[in-house]
Parts: sequence; C-alpha cells; structure tokens
Amino acid sequence: MGKAAEAGRTRGLDRVNTGQIISGVGHLGLIAFALFGGAFQSEPLPMEVSEVTAISSEDFALLMAQTQAPDAVANVDTPEPPEAGEAVPDLTSDTDETPVVAQPEVAEPDVPDEAPDVAELAPPEAEVTDEAPVLQPPSEEVAVLPEINPESQPRPADVIAPEAVEAPEPDVRIDDVDQQETQPDEAETVVEDEQEETARQETTTEIVTEAEEEEDAPIAPTASVRPVARPSRPVEEPAEEVVQDVPSTENSSVEDALAEALGTTQTETRPAGPPLTAGEKDALRLGVQQCWNVGSLSTDALQTIVVVAFQMTEDAKPVANSIRMVSSSGGSSSSAQQAFDAARRAIIRCGARGYDLPAEKYDQWREVEITFNPENMRIK
Amino acid sequence: MMKHVLTLLAAFLIGATPVAAQDSQPLKIIVDQGVIEPLPFAVPDFVAGSSASAEYARNIARVVSADLSGTGLFREIPSNAYISQITSFSSPVQFADWKAINAEALVTGFVNVDASGKLVVQFRVYDVFAGQEMSQGLQFVGTPDGWRRMAHKVADEVYKRITGEGAYFDSRVVFVSETGPKNQREKRLAIMDYDGANVSYLTDSSSIVLAPRFSPSGSQVLYTSYESGFPRINVLDVSNVARRALEGQDGTMSFAPRFAPDGRTVVYSLTRGGNTDLYTMDINTGASQRLTNAPSIETAPSFSPDGSQIVFESDRSGTPQLYVMSSGGGEATRISFGKGRYGTPVWSPRGDYIAFTKQSKGRFHIGVMRTNGSEERLLTASFLDEGPTWAPNGRVIMFTRETAGASGASSLWSVDITGRNLRQVATNTGASDPAWSPLQN
Amino acid sequence: MNILSKTMIACVGLALAACTQPEYLQGVDGNGAGSGAYGSGSAQDPTSPLYFQQTVGDRVLFAVDQSTISPEGAATLDGQAQWLMTNTAYSAIIEGHADEQGTREYNLALGARRANAVQEYLLSKGVAGNRMKVVSYGKERPLEVCSDEACYNKNRRAVTVVSAIPNS
Repeated sequence: MGKAAEAGRTRGLDRVNTGQIISGVGHLGLIAFALFGGAFQSEPLPMEVSEVTAISSEDFALLMAQTQAPDAVANVDTPEPPEAGEAVPDLTSDTDETPVVAQPEVAEPDVPDEAPDVAELAPPEAEVTDEAPVLQPPSEEVAVLPEINPESQPRPADVIAPEAVEAPEPDVRIDDVDQQETQPDEAETVVEDEQEETARQETTTEIVTEAEEEEDAPIAPTASVRPVARPSRPVEEPAEEVVQDVPSTENSSVEDALAEALGTTQTETRPAGPPLTAGEKDALRLGVQQCWNVGSLSTDALQTIVVVAFQMTEDAKPVANSIRMVSSSGGSSSSAQQAFDAARRAIIRCGARGYDLPAEKYDQWREVEITFNPENMRIK
Repeated sequence: MMKHVLTLLAAFLIGATPVAAQDSQPLKIIVDQGVIEPLPFAVPDFVAGSSASAEYARNIARVVSADLSGTGLFREIPSNAYISQITSFSSPVQFADWKAINAEALVTGFVNVDASGKLVVQFRVYDVFAGQEMSQGLQFVGTPDGWRRMAHKVADEVYKRITGEGAYFDSRVVFVSETGPKNQREKRLAIMDYDGANVSYLTDSSSIVLAPRFSPSGSQVLYTSYESGFPRINVLDVSNVARRALEGQDGTMSFAPRFAPDGRTVVYSLTRGGNTDLYTMDINTGASQRLTNAPSIETAPSFSPDGSQIVFESDRSGTPQLYVMSSGGGEATRISFGKGRYGTPVWSPRGDYIAFTKQSKGRFHIGVMRTNGSEERLLTASFLDEGPTWAPNGRVIMFTRETAGASGASSLWSVDITGRNLRQVATNTGASDPAWSPLQN
Repeated sequence: MNILSKTMIACVGLALAACTQPEYLQGVDGNGAGSGAYGSGSAQDPTSPLYFQQTVGDRVLFAVDQSTISPEGAATLDGQAQWLMTNTAYSAIIEGHADEQGTREYNLALGARRANAVQEYLLSKGVAGNRMKVVSYGKERPLEVCSDEACYNKNRRAVTVVSAIPNS
C-alpha cells in the first residue's frame, strides 16, 4: 500500500500550482516555527510514571510551573488513577495545559482542492453485502436507565420516524424500505433483483428523554407499548418493476418530431397523460421522506426550509447532478447548505431503485420540485 | 407523412402556451416528515506517509470516529463491512463501494511526519450519495504528541460540514476528581480533554475544592476552595497551576464564581451574617460591587454571552427559582414557573437556552428552557443530577450524576439538548462539577 | 496531615466511638484551626472540649430547608452558651451542613443560614461575637451516608466546634 499511496499522493500534489505549494509550505513553516519553535528547541522532559512522593503543594505548583513547555506524554488513554487517600500530587500525566499541539495550522487551500473526478463505475455487482453494517442495537447509552421496566416502555429507539417500526427479525437487513424476499428462480428476466429481505430500521415516533420516559413510566399498569402498527407493509412490486422502457416507434417518432419542432435534441413530450392522482403524489412523498434524515442537522438547519428541484429518468430515478437548491428560507444562510445536503441525500438514496411513479405519466414527473420543511421534525 | 403531421401537432402544442407551460411545470410536492437517525459514516484508517506515521494514521482515524459517534448524530460503519479500502489519499473515491454499504459520509485522510518532525494531517469529507466532496480538503500541522488534538480538529471540521453545528471536540473539561467515602470525600481539581483523555491534576486534595469555571479564553479557572478553612474563591492559571485567592473579607464566605464574557469581571455569591447575595468583582483590582440585597439566598449566577444579563437562583419566593436581571443588578424577573425547585442556571454560549437543575418529586433533572423561561424541557432524571455545563457549541450539556446510598458516587454524563444520546463520560475516579472550556484555538 | 494524625491518635487513645465522625476532621480541614481541640481532657472534665461535645451537645438539627432553631435545639444551645461563658479560653467555629437533597451552591448558602442561626442564638445568650466564626460545608461533609430521611435529618445540622484560643 505504501507505493500506491505514494503514487496517488504525488499525482494529487501535481495538480496544485507549484507557486501555491511553495508559498503554502513557506507560510506553514513560518507559522509552525512561530508556534512550535520553542517546543522543538528544548528536549521533552522524560516522562515520569506514577512516582508517588510526598511533596508540598508549593513544590507541586513549582514543579508544574517548570514542566509547562513540551508535553511529553503520548500515552493519553489511561491516565493513572490518583492514589486514594494520598494527598500527593500525581505526577503521571502532564499537568501543563499549555496547548500541546498549539494551534494546528489551518491552511485552507493547502490540499489540492478539486474533488477527484469520479467516473461512475459499474454498480456494485448487485450482490448485496451480507454484512448488515447497521444492525447493532442502540447501544449508545451507557446503561443505567433507572428502575424502568424496559418492556413496558416505548423505547427511545435510535431512530425517530413518522411512524413506528418494530424491531425487525434479527437476520433481516436494515434498509430504507420494507421489502419482501423475492424468489430468485422466478425468471431469468430478473437480472439484478435477487432481493434479500429487508426491513426498515426500528423506529419510534418521538424523542423520549430520560425525564419523559420516567414520567410515563410506572403509573398505569396499562403502560401501553405504544405503537403496535403492523411493521412491514410489503412493497409489492420490486421485481417486476424493471420496466424495460423500450420506447415504442410511435413514441420515438413523436420525439423526433418534437425535436425537430424545437430544433433541439432534447427528448420531449409524449402525451402528458392525466395529472398524478393524490395517491401517486403521496407515493413519491412517502418514498422520499423515508430517506430524509434530519438527525444529523444542526438546530439551525432544522429551521431551514429548502426547495429542491431535479430531473427524473424515465425509470423514475433522480438524475443526481440535476439536483439543485431552488431557494431556502428560515435558519441562517450557512445552514442552507446542510439542509440541502440532507435533502439531496434523501432524493438520491430512496430513488436508487426508482420511485413508485406511473410510467405513462412521465411528463408529469419528469421535473420534480420538493419543498423540504423540517418544522415537524424539530424538537418540541 | 405521419411525421409531418406530428411536427405540426407538436408545434401547435408548443404554440398553445397555456397547455405546454402546464406540462413543463415541475411536479411539486412537500415533504414535511422525515426520520431522525444517526448518519452512517465511514472513516477508514488514514493513509500513512511512512512507517513512522502509521500508528498516528490509525489512531487519528479512531479518535475522529469516536468523536463523531459520540455525538449520537452519527453511526460508524465498521471496517469489516468495507468493500474497498482507501489506499491513496488523492485517488478518486469509488463512491459506488461506499454507497453499497450505505455510508452517507466518508472521511479520508493522510498522515505524515515531515522532515522537521512535525505531524501533518490532511483530510477530505465526501458526501457519498451526491458523489461529491463536502467543501475542501484541509491540512493541520502540529507536534506528534498533539496528535489527539489534531484528530479532534479534524472531527470538528467534519462535524461542522455535515451538521452545520459549531465545533466542540477540541475542548477541555475542568472538574472535581473525587475519591474516598461519601463522608470523607477527597476532592481535587482535574482537567481533561472533553472525551476524558489526557487527565491531569491542578490541585492536591488537602482541602475541599468545588465548582471550577473556565475563563472565556480557557486560560484561567475560578473555583471555591476551603484552603483557608472557609470557602473562598481562587483563580488558577491553567498553564502553570499558579493560584491565588481573590480578595475576601474576614467573616464572609464566597463561592459560586463565574467569569463575565469580558474575562476580568467575576460574579459570585458572598455570605455575610447568614445571608447570601450576589456581587461582582474586578479580578485585577479586587474592586467589588453588590448586585442584590435581599434576605433570601441569591446564588449560582451566570452571565448571558453578551454580558448584559445574569441568570441566577433565588429563594425569595419561598423556594429556589430562576431569575434574570441586568448585569449591573437591579430588578430581577422570575423565569421558572414549573412545579419544583430550580437551581444552577447556565446560559448557553449561543444565548438561546438556559440549562438548569430541577428538583421535583424527590428526583433531580437537567433541563433547558428559553431565556424567558418558555419551552422548558427536562432531559434527564435520576436520584441526583446537577450542575449543567455547555459544550462550546451550545448543543451538548455535561453534568454531575450522583448515585444514592452509602456507596454513592459521582460521575460525569453528557446529553444532547434534544434529550438524546445520554452517556457517561469516562473518568478514572469519581467526578463532579464539570465545566466545559471554550473551543481551543 | 500531621494535625489529622494527632487527632486520630488522640481519638484512638480515648477509644471514642465518636471518632468516626468526620466533623473532627472538618475543624482542621485546611487551616489547622482547632488543633488539639480534643486532644486533652476527658469527657468527665466539664471544662474539656470532649465534655462540651458529648455532654453539653455540640450540634442542633434542622427541618428540611429550614434554619430556625427547634425547642430541643434551643436547649442544647443554652448549654453551649453556658459552657462558652464559663470556659472563656475557648473559641468556637460553627459549621452549618445540609443534606444531599439540593444543589451544591444552594446547600452552601443554606448551611450558612443554619450556622448563622446558631451564632445569633449564642450571641443573644451573651457569647461574645469575636469568639465565634461560622462556616458552611453545604452537603460536602455528611455525617451519615445513607440516602433516606433517617440519615438526612442527622445531616441537616449545625455543629459547634470549640478550640483553645491561642495564647499569643
């Protein structure tokens, strides 16, 4: 790997204008010298490990005053516990707080800044990983939820969603949609879709703080396990849905004609078909919202409404590079980017297999504009 | 022939603007429901520039990952799920491989020890599904023994880019380390990184120390010490642990100090003749000013970030409640009205919330409310939770939790202001009275 | 350290059960005041601090959140005042304490109220103000360590610690 790394790095650096490098390195050096020069002139003090000696607190202070410059301790994970009962300063870990690293230099454009171009490579071989990356239970809470019977409680699941989803069977992969296992041997037409069974991750419908949890805790024996909604509404048509949209001759001549009329090569209008029904619109809305994860957004970004527009392919997949922010409101200007990023991730992720939209009405949904309003997702 | 007709038809359709315009209208929908879950990310070990930097490359990636996961806003995808590895920092990322394991964010990095012995860390953050880098790559340079701080800086940058929230990992916490039985607790001041690493001690345990508080720059710590036999406020220089007692008068006790944003004014409680009121003092000149004058207890003052107001605790109504007044003193407005007793209010560094301790029905809670007292929300509940302190970005709160009984012990906990992600902060001894530093530079 | 061990040795020598009680240590905590307070005399000697502590009674208890002296407390304090008036070579530090049910800061202030209430009472009985000092430990030094009312009511206290006034 060393070689590859070296090679890759050299390539990367080559892209940077040489002048920038020289200037950057020079400046960095200068700044770094200014900041750390002192630290390098003196030898780091040898590290004393856990010497417990009786010294007065004055001596302790004095000693600390002397040790301040270079911080010699690299082993930071497990500082020695102080001896109980010993009124003796512990000399193990460095006391001096003089910023150890001191300001690591933030050199903005010092790294070649253009994102490496990425050719869209072939999709990952359709073999879905067996490793569910996700599955570990919400273990983040280091325990000790006081005296509450876990069974009678709506657990504060890791995931908050508009509807509660029960914990899936253990061997079901977590995905953004519920999906039934498909029969692999059905037909050879099904190319990519040897679908393993998936389920959406367990969710709850609201944030339950420890305090609230306690509130509703043992009061009534009926402490109802809250939402027992049927977890998985099977999504019906994953397999057959591979509409191999071969345009009919008629269609193509329409397109040709239209192209001619417009003088462009752009493919345009077939008969638009009737407008989408409310149900059809809902399907798209539901499809996107399953992936609209605002859990990692700042409180500010959660105040930000973004309107995002994009194009769809005929198989109802969003065109990634067509996704753009039309407008934003609320929040601060800086939060719009994160709000947009989250919206874009939602559109792409849940659209990866194509949205559930009627193909015959393509022209009704060729262009989509979605308003993402996090008002309901804020902490109340 | 057919084609011509169609051309005409098409031309007609286009000419008939109302219809055509309608057709080209995008489909508009509103999404106002979503999910709140940790964002899955991957931080493969950083690429090492040499064998000398291999360990740093690995350790820095681990700390970055721990920082992000620790927020509760992110969830790391374990490396055994990876389809492809990052072996070169500047080669194009195979987004498809990361999409396939549902990594929504990917952090790659390169670590090297340069000729002068300095540690150089470069990193990039990718939005995997968008197939784009989020903002630009960055580089940090520092001394190798400061690798942990550099890792925190990287994590801060990643966190900011994805969440839009301010940074907080590169920060420290001063607290009271506790050992010994409940009735003979030994207490000494200690300081550590926000994640519990790098602990060092600032005082010995020869006298009781309480409630340390950072100065706005993080270079000084105010705390209450019984060194004189009576509670007095000390100020301690973090860099060399030199300390001195603030001016005080015989026959009085002073405690509950906090700095004003100006870094030289200290607000605190002073008790004389059994009555506790609030005062400010200029830390350099020792000149003090009385802010309250009531027979009730006034304590636990905390400045608003702009320095114009002080929130504090008073039992003038009969039970301890929270009040806000101008930083020069004068009339105070009560802001807590729920059932129970309120204490230790702390103004958020963002200025939007006040965190507090609430005692109700024999339990203790950490909660937050708007600065006018509205939107009160309790985040925790236990036998004894108290003394909230804010992360520099105003998003996370750390506090003391003490367990009941003869073997009761104190520990530090943190919780997101949403009430999620409650977790214990690792400390080697019992620990109480945490105070979060500002972000280091 | 030194003072502490002296005290401990003295206590052990006298084989007093009360030695496990921490307020002995509090008197010496930090400033060394009270050095040798209980190192001499015996409980039978009415001029000894031990007599004061055990027979007169060195503490009064308080109701939750209160700092008013109860009738029992007043009786104890009458005895304390009398003893102090008789034994003028001693000064007193009055320590106020609270139970653990409250925040640290509030309990410090509450303990100060309690100590002050005792001081006021002793003043009213004629003990000179310059022989008394007050200090609050809030909830930092509980006497009993359980977490229920049986312990709490013993911890809500003010303790009068007497020590010989230095000759100088």
